[in-house]
Amino acid sequence: MADSKRVEPDLKFVKDLKAMGADTLKKCYQCATCSVVCPISPEERPFPRKEMIAAQWGLQDRLVGNMDVWLCHYCNDCSTYCPRGARPGDVLNAARALAVRAYAWPACLGRIVPDARYWWLLFAIPAAIFLVILGAAGHLHIPEGEIEFAKFFPTILVDSIFVPLAVLWIPITFGIGIKRFMNEIHTNAVADGRAKRKDIVLPDFLRSLVCVVPTILRHSKFEQCTQNKDRYIPHLLVLFSFLGLFIVTNVFFVALYILHSPGPYSQLNPVKILANASAVALILGAVWLINNRLKDRGENVGRGSYFDWSLLILVLGLGVTGLLSELTRLVHLPAIAYPMYFVHLVFVFCLFAYLPFGKLAHLVYRTLAMAYSHYSGREPCE
Amino acid sequence: MEKKLGVYICKGCGIGDALDIEHLEGQVPAKIEVKHTHDFLCGPEGVDLIKKDIEQGVNTVVVAACSRRVLHDVFNFGPNVIVERVNLREGVVWSHKPREGAEPPEGMSVADDWIQEMAVDYVKMGIAEAEKINLPEPYLETIDKKVLVLGGGVTGLTAALEVAKAGYEATVIERGSSVGGFAAKLRKQTPTSSPYEVPQTPVIQDIIKEAEAHPKVSIRTETEVARIFGAPGLFDVTFKSAGTKSKWDIPESPEETEGAEAPPEPPGAEEATPENPANILAKNPEAERFGAVILATGWKPWTPDEPLTEQAETQSEEAKEGEEAKEGEEPKEPPPSYDHLGLGTLPDVVTNVAFEEMAAAGKITRPSDGKPAASVAFVQCPGRGSDEDFPYASSITSMVALKQAKYVREDNPDAKAYIIYQHMRTPGQNEYFYKAIQQDEGIFLTKGDVVGVSKNGDGLILEANDTLLGDNISLNVDMVVLGTGMVPLTKDEPVLNLAYRQGPGFRDLDLFDGYADSNYICFPYETRRTGIYVAGTARRSMGIGECMEDAAGAALKAIQCIESANRGMAVHPRSGDVTYPDFFFQRCTQCKRCTEECPFGALDDDEKGTPLPNPTRCRRCGTCMGACPERIIGFADYNIDSIGSMVKAFDVPDDDEEKFRILVLACENDAYPALDIAAMNGLDYSSLVRVIPVRCLGSVNVVWIKDALSRGVDGILTIGCKFGDDYQCHFIKGSELFSIRTDKIGEALKSLALEKERVQQVQIAIDEYDKLPGIINGFVEEMVNIGPNPFKGW
Repeated sequence: MADSKRVEPDLKFVKDLKAMGADTLKKCYQCATCSVVCPISPEERPFPRKEMIAAQWGLQDRLVGNMDVWLCHYCNDCSTYCPRGARPGDVLNAARALAVRAYAWPACLGRIVPDARYWWLLFAIPAAIFLVILGAAGHLHIPEGEIEFAKFFPTILVDSIFVPLAVLWIPITFGIGIKRFMNEIHTNAVADGRAKRKDIVLPDFLRSLVCVVPTILRHSKFEQCTQNKDRYIPHLLVLFSFLGLFIVTNVFFVALYILHSPGPYSQLNPVKILANASAVALILGAVWLINNRLKDRGENVGRGSYFDWSLLILVLGLGVTGLLSELTRLVHLPAIAYPMYFVHLVFVFCLFAYLPFGKLAHLVYRTLAMAYSHYSGREPCE
Repeated sequence: MEKKLGVYICKGCGIGDALDIEHLEGQVPAKIEVKHTHDFLCGPEGVDLIKKDIEQGVNTVVVAACSRRVLHDVFNFGPNVIVERVNLREGVVWSHKPREGAEPPEGMSVADDWIQEMAVDYVKMGIAEAEKINLPEPYLETIDKKVLVLGGGVTGLTAALEVAKAGYEATVIERGSSVGGFAAKLRKQTPTSSPYEVPQTPVIQDIIKEAEAHPKVSIRTETEVARIFGAPGLFDVTFKSAGTKSKWDIPESPEETEGAEAPPEPPGAEEATPENPANILAKNPEAERFGAVILATGWKPWTPDEPLTEQAETQSEEAKEGEEAKEGEEPKEPPPSYDHLGLGTLPDVVTNVAFEEMAAAGKITRPSDGKPAASVAFVQCPGRGSDEDFPYASSITSMVALKQAKYVREDNPDAKAYIIYQHMRTPGQNEYFYKAIQQDEGIFLTKGDVVGVSKNGDGLILEANDTLLGDNISLNVDMVVLGTGMVPLTKDEPVLNLAYRQGPGFRDLDLFDGYADSNYICFPYETRRTGIYVAGTARRSMGIGECMEDAAGAALKAIQCIESANRGMAVHPRSGDVTYPDFFFQRCTQCKRCTEECPFGALDDDEKGTPLPNPTRCRRCGTCMGACPERIIGFADYNIDSIGSMVKAFDVPDDDEEKFRILVLACENDAYPALDIAAMNGLDYSSLVRVIPVRCLGSVNVVWIKDALSRGVDGILTIGCKFGDDYQCHFIKGSELFSIRTDKIGEALKSLALEKERVQQVQIAIDEYDKLPGIINGFVEEMVNIGPNPFKGW
């Protein structure tokens, strides 16, 4: 018959999902309690019931190319009420991880970054680069006198690593991933009739993008969760601390290269206050989120996998090493301060370089999915 | 026996408060010398009072206290004392509040004279019955205690072992050349023990070994039953080699249809002597004697050649005859076609039975080319817009699909197994199996409507609509396995070959799709042939674990039957009843109504048509007694005269226009207990009725109704169990047969210028007690509207 879709289950995809923390996916018996209790799923074609059977049948295209897996905010109301302990929340979480992997370019990084076996490699790469550069520059020792990190790792060297990372590496790699992502979800939406046009009308899409920004900044979706409501504040803290640190970094970049005013700056400098406040918020948010993950919600609901934990640890490490670098500098402990700074830079590198391949990619993919959802008329704006 | 009556009126439980006991006692006929009232008759003092009188010669005790359904142990004074219970507590006091505005009669300590009259009538009726009934004497014969088991599958062998372990001898008859049945052809069986998660090695081989080794079990293969003659405890069974003809084969009989008048002469009547095998009732003198029979003949695979049309037609015809209201409820569709599934045309489409045999033989390969089957679809429902499963499919077919999907995965770790179902039935512990199978990454389940199976290169394409995947899907598969059902062997052949007047097999099997079953919920294993108990897949589709439990149940039932027969007692539902119907043959007109109507085929007949009772087949329902136009059938403690005397014992006022008199005949299985329960719940009904419990409405003889109407009784309400396709009658046909009699009474009433509404039948279940007051009061009101019986006072 012409209107029937050829279905070919992929056993490997089922195994991959299970390995990503969705080990319970086969327990689902399609009662759709999950779709009913989900506080944020749209009325039409609600998730995650349909995603559950796609997962059971190993139908990669129905998960990876599906904007709905990104509309899910991991409230876990579904997992709590699931009568079979199938944990739909974790299944969608795993589906997002596999989606990130599927869009990754270069593909090898998409495989290595979320693989727990290679965690050391991720840190070893920046550490090695730094050591080589510092060695070449003759800086592989702890400098004497007043602690100034630039004496150890000259700003020009730092920027010669991080600026290309920010303006070349991320735009290129993530750009390719984003293009694939948009293609996939649009093709899928066209296939099931949700999108009317074959191409994406960019101005309309950008308008949708703008329209979802308040939703994200207010965390309104998170706020609707009931089971995972206590994640709302810490996640907001982390988001805003990243925004704060983003602003601080840019301000200091301008201060250095345009105003020629290198740090360290006074603690009373408003920008410095913002930086410190962001650092504290980052650590607080990270600890809070980790604590939240460790909470017993029954049947291992909401624990996540290495994919999630790697970001939590990264964020916590980033905050802690940053703040410790500053504190040890202020109390003049060069033996700790300089190595701490080194470690901090390793964390920063990891954050930037692996952005398109790890959990942090959700920052972009979820934003785009939400925008697309609005664009395709699936969900209204606030 | 010279009767000496004693009447004992209890004042406890509110009886003394609501009634004028002194007046009541005064109404006991003067000829009865022994009469007492007591505050607490069931207490030790009260019982002693009765016992002392018994020592003084009282042998018939009328206890006017609570319902006969309670305290029967307290008021049991041994086998030589007749006990008659008058139900003052539930029947009068608890179920009747004084009418509004009723003026207390002068000089009496009662609020409402109607209630007092009711009590007086019940005492009089009790005395009347007590005078007419006798102590029963059991029917005893020397019986055989061996159990015959038909069928050597898992059920039959287990039943034989259970019988043997209980100390009785069992003989297993198997048609095939070896025992074990289908259970011996499995690769694995669905789990029967915790954690119920993985298919297990079939248990059948152990059972075969144990049965073969047991000294009390004998097994005969390649053997069939030619004829079973006799009755429980006295079955004379003739065997023959499987597939052969025997002169003792039951002759084909055209008179098997129920209800139809039997032809005046049975076929071959001129030579129908008791010795001639051509007579269905002939006894083989060389036959082997058994006490009871367990039917474990199991099932055969369903094939598309035998759709259920035949029986669907008979059912709809019956529905037309029976209840008009039901007509048009389910219009029968044309028989479903299974051609779109390719069974028979595509070699790689097989049934689950064929697939099991393939799996047991080795690795699963495609029948078309012998290549390993890398993807197999299990189709549970023929589909094409219908969500009906295959005929005779059940939870077993669901379980088998899950099990066989696992075979596919066991044989090849990369293989895929799909299960397309409309109903996934895994009741009870089986849910664990479903959960475990579901965990397999390569097993894919979805609800779906299968549209068709077609050829695609050397494989197949299966298309299904409305799946849980949200689309119409198509799957590339190597094989398709159809979840077809298990047809009971009893559907198409009599199997038992009984030498019974009512025919060699079971009756009305179309009600149960051919399954040998009668009252499934109340009396499992029971059939409509006493002494023949059915177990396993002959009763309904079931798995091996259930079959084994079933076998144990039927084995115990068979032993119970044998031991009951040995003591002259009924097996069920009137367990322990030692009465049996007594015939006054001098007045028999050979009308054969009793022979025809007995729901259990207890009566055969001789060449003239005179009934030949088989007391051990009898369940003591009294349907024969109700049917007999000559009124020559009765039981020692329940007969035309005993109930007839009660009908004549109560007062029918003809001087008071308000005092209608209504007779209620209540079946003692559901209706009478329901009345008691209504009373316990404080529900109130009209005090104009007089209730008489009967064994079954089937035992109600029309003469009682005539007597009541000719006395001026204004209406007769009979309350019995539900009848029809999903009957609840404890005696299967009793309430239905009575409804036919009621119809005939209605015509007779018209000829007497009486309204046919004066005799009505209602159907009630025991849990519908709350409806009873409404039904009774409604009937009384209807009679009031019709007006008094014109025969009053004649």
